[in-house]
Amino acid sequence: MIADFLVYGIINTLCVVLISPLFVSMIKKVKAWSQGRQGPSVFQTYYTLAKLLKKEVIYSPNASWIMRITPWACIAAVLVASLFVPLVFVTEPFGGIGNIILFLYLLVLARFFMALGGLDAGSAFGGMGSSREMSISAVIEPTTIIVFAALAFVFKSLNIFDMVAVSAAAGIPVSPTLILIGISLFIILIVETSRLPVDNPETHLELTMIHEGMILEQSGRNLALMELTAAIKQTLLMALLINLLVPWGLATTLSFAAVAVAIGLFAVKGVILSLVIGLFESSMAKMRFFRLPSLFMMAFFFSTLTIIIEVFA
Amino acid sequence: MTDPAFFDGIIKILFVCVIITAAYIITTKNLISLVRVYALQSLTLVLIALALYWYEGTGILLFIALITLVFKVIVIPYFIATVQEKIRIKRDIEFHFLSPTSSLLISLALMLIIYIALSRILGDTLAKGSIGSPFFFGAVIGISLVLMGMMVTFSRKKAITKVLGYLSMENGVLLFGLFATELPFIIEFLIIIDLVILILLTTILTVGIDSTLEEYHNRLHRFYLWEEQEESP
Repeated sequence: MIADFLVYGIINTLCVVLISPLFVSMIKKVKAWSQGRQGPSVFQTYYTLAKLLKKEVIYSPNASWIMRITPWACIAAVLVASLFVPLVFVTEPFGGIGNIILFLYLLVLARFFMALGGLDAGSAFGGMGSSREMSISAVIEPTTIIVFAALAFVFKSLNIFDMVAVSAAAGIPVSPTLILIGISLFIILIVETSRLPVDNPETHLELTMIHEGMILEQSGRNLALMELTAAIKQTLLMALLINLLVPWGLATTLSFAAVAVAIGLFAVKGVILSLVIGLFESSMAKMRFFRLPSLFMMAFFFSTLTIIIEVFA
Repeated sequence: MTDPAFFDGIIKILFVCVIITAAYIITTKNLISLVRVYALQSLTLVLIALALYWYEGTGILLFIALITLVFKVIVIPYFIATVQEKIRIKRDIEFHFLSPTSSLLISLALMLIIYIALSRILGDTLAKGSIGSPFFFGAVIGISLVLMGMMVTFSRKKAITKVLGYLSMENGVLLFGLFATELPFIIEFLIIIDLVILILLTTILTVGIDSTLEEYHNRLHRFYLWEEQEESP
């Protein structure tokens, strides 16, 4: 039991760390294709991270200890959160891990430190990015909670492990209302990973940047950690969407063959989802800041509707 | 005859599709996709009617599916699309009273109210245990669709989107008719004929409702709605 969980932890963490950069560069590649460019290689994010890890870290003279612990706090929070989402292999949850509310708060903890780090260096861009990020997260938070509450209603459980186990046993989406939740989760994925209608991940234009503004002062190894944090967060949300909506192929017993197949399938499904995200992003223009709540409202509408349908129908 | 659980699943998926299209009709600003989504919503109704036929085996449902397919999926959207192409309006970004976001919130509240109201009204007439069945929920979604269509009708400014709101209301009536009561076929047919006439009239009036009769003819020419050559005097 405990041994199983240890193995699960090792496999899951390795998977999430190794596969996250692939999805990031896959999305970049798709966007480049849709613009008629060739784009960087799909391994580019790995090279970038490796190079950044070797570089020297420089702190602003105004920076305090917050700047120094921010990258570590962020990566620690998302790595613990990554244990909550079974990517390729579901086991019995151990010691209360998998609670959906704790999962959300771990993600918020990473975001909190990121915003503090943006403010800490004293640069104007960092402050702007942090304040925007905090406003957006204040608006998206109720929606996120409702979406996950809808998930809990559909699966009758607050534990992500139970949810994934149920849907892995079924092999198909367990309830038609999951289509509605899928739309909501997709919107949350777009917002949380600061993608196009909300924030442009490719620009350093001061008027629009949110996420990039906050990590502008990070350098070297710390920057690599921050980039990896963002990538892992994206993979986690993608994994939730994938493993709840198209769960077939997920390993439920610990055998080498099953896990290997599950890893392969997960990579394929993730790449397909990255394709969808990339195409979605290419087809959108950035929204004006005050128009964003109408996007969140879509997610809110669909997830509330799910709860209504689950309770009444 | 057929497996009820499977039927339930299919019907639920179709309900979800209807709701998604309704939400899209409320929020979108692009007229071309509005018409396409309306056609999609009607197609979903066709599928629901077919699923019901497969479950119940009443022949009249086949006819309803057929005329819905012919008129609401093909004829009416085609007609509106051609008119739209001619008057060259692509987007409707003006709203009265309600922004799309608040319309969505209100439609949620409406659904809840309708559910409570219907469970009181139909609770006595329907057999015990039927609340919570797809038939009851279909009636709820039908009436919600009517009210959501009404919201589209009064919150949009352009006449052509008002018409689409009205059409979506009619879809709601059909859905309610399919699930709650046995709507006589002749009435459904008459409604469709009415709709076609209404579309014809409104698309013509959209161009010229604020003009005099003399000016109206000129406008028809200006928007290329009247292709016939002028006779030389």
